[in-house]
Amino acid sequence: MADYPVAKTSEVPEGRTLRVVVQGVEVLLCKCEGNVYAIEDVCTHDGAPLDQGELQGCEITCARHGAVFDVRSGAVLALPAVVPVPTYKVRIVGDDVFVDV
Amino acid sequence: MATQLKTAPIVEDYRHGFHDPENYVFKSEKGLTPEIVERISAMKDEPQWMREFRLKAHEIFLSKPMPTWGDTALLSEIDFSNIHYFVKSTDRAERSWDDVPDDIKRTFDRLGIPEAERKFLSGVSAQYESEVVYHNVSKELDELGVLFCDMDTAVKQHPEIVQKYLATVIPPGDNKFAALNSAVWSGGSFIYVPPGVEVKMPLQAYFRINAENMGQFERTLIIADKGAKVHYIEGCTAPKFSTSSLHSAVVELIAMEGASIRYTTIQNWYRNIFNLVTKRAIAYKNATVEWVDGNIGSRLTMKYPAIYLMGEGARGEILSMAFAGEGQHQDAGAKVIHAAPNTTSVVTNKSVSAHGGKTTYRGLVEIHPGAVGAKTRVKCDALIMDEESASDTKPTMKIHEQRSTVEHEASVSKIGEEQLFYAMSRGLNEADATAMIVNGFFDFFVKELPMEYAVELNRLVKMEMEGSVG
Repeated sequence: MADYPVAKTSEVPEGRTLRVVVQGVEVLLCKCEGNVYAIEDVCTHDGAPLDQGELQGCEITCARHGAVFDVRSGAVLALPAVVPVPTYKVRIVGDDVFVDV
Repeated sequence: MATQLKTAPIVEDYRHGFHDPENYVFKSEKGLTPEIVERISAMKDEPQWMREFRLKAHEIFLSKPMPTWGDTALLSEIDFSNIHYFVKSTDRAERSWDDVPDDIKRTFDRLGIPEAERKFLSGVSAQYESEVVYHNVSKELDELGVLFCDMDTAVKQHPEIVQKYLATVIPPGDNKFAALNSAVWSGGSFIYVPPGVEVKMPLQAYFRINAENMGQFERTLIIADKGAKVHYIEGCTAPKFSTSSLHSAVVELIAMEGASIRYTTIQNWYRNIFNLVTKRAIAYKNATVEWVDGNIGSRLTMKYPAIYLMGEGARGEILSMAFAGEGQHQDAGAKVIHAAPNTTSVVTNKSVSAHGGKTTYRGLVEIHPGAVGAKTRVKCDALIMDEESASDTKPTMKIHEQRSTVEHEASVSKIGEEQLFYAMSRGLNEADATAMIVNGFFDFFVKELPMEYAVELNRLVKMEMEGSVG
């Protein structure tokens, strides 16, 4: 459990992503539908960083080969990825964002 | 080990090397801009969602670099600004044979379509340049509820199905050439088979390039609903001309639970064509997908039919053969992804290189964690006919699940002296004996083809082998 904030809520506006490193894990914070979600910033297809991709609604598209994940559950929505991306629990306290990896 | 590829000479007597004088309705100017993409979409009278799909894909195409692997020397010869990306030869898809314009009929005559149509085909979509000009779906297919038409028609008549499945197997971002195809695609086939329906006759299509520097960008989408079964065949030829041409197709197959799709291709493009194709299938629970892939022509082919085994019990088979003659590089292979338990796959690849040709096998088998009981077997054999020719085998296996069975075997050889001696002692001359042995080498593949393809393939191989002896 990481008990230090990794970002301010203002750094993750609606529809945007923010890459942070939490206890050695590369995490991508994504804001959609008013909530902040956290997924591992590594595409399960070929290891590309998902922060290079585009977030549309709650779906993030990997820039390298077009794989799509739902940031809320980590589920794969499009090939060529087949393995879901790990997700992490997010806690908001005031304007601080905490991520439990 | 790699040889210097010689430029292919213009062969005068190439029997498919005819060339109709060009009389096209519309030909886009060379090169690719968003305006040209918009114009392609407007000329096809496409809905807004398809126009946006194309424009987005064009942006992705521009943002992606050329591959840094593969035959980069040959790839660097492609001049994207020197290609016409769209040519339209008639105004509407034809229904009856009598309505097809004469010069197109002549072309099809030479490719043997009327004969085949009389014999035993269910339906034929024939693509001339970038449009499907002749389309004849038999009543049987209509009664079964099978949809079989060209992709342009499908976008307008079956938008719900197309939107649901298009680019779900191969997104535009997959690679530079898939992005290019997604932006400028034209023609290609669309097939939907309803649940439980088995299409007994193979469905076929033919296509060719005619204009100089004309690119071919077919987009094919085949969906077999639960328990459905279909076999699709494509074979193509191209006339001779001296500047390079680009062919970049995208084929997506979806086999739902218990369904079965077989896709057969004989590629025989003339030796100045770059054939860079992305073909991929998804097989759901207990479904089967088979790619039967033959590569004889083109200057450079890069094609790796892939199967994603996503549901338990799904099965995939890839049979591929390649022949590389002078100045040719067949860079082909297979990819299988096991993402579910008890899935099975077999990959059989055989290639022959002669007169300085080069064949490469590039394959991937990946077994994901949780794909318990997955079984896979890969066999690749290469035959190198002479000292100027070459063959490379680059198989990759990424096995993340210990409870799986993986087999692999590969061989490289030249024609056996004993086999040759035996055949010649039976009265064959060396050329005929060699052709017979090479045809025997490819028999695993040829026996999967319908008769007229098998005959043409055997003849083609014999033609290629001529001059390889002595």
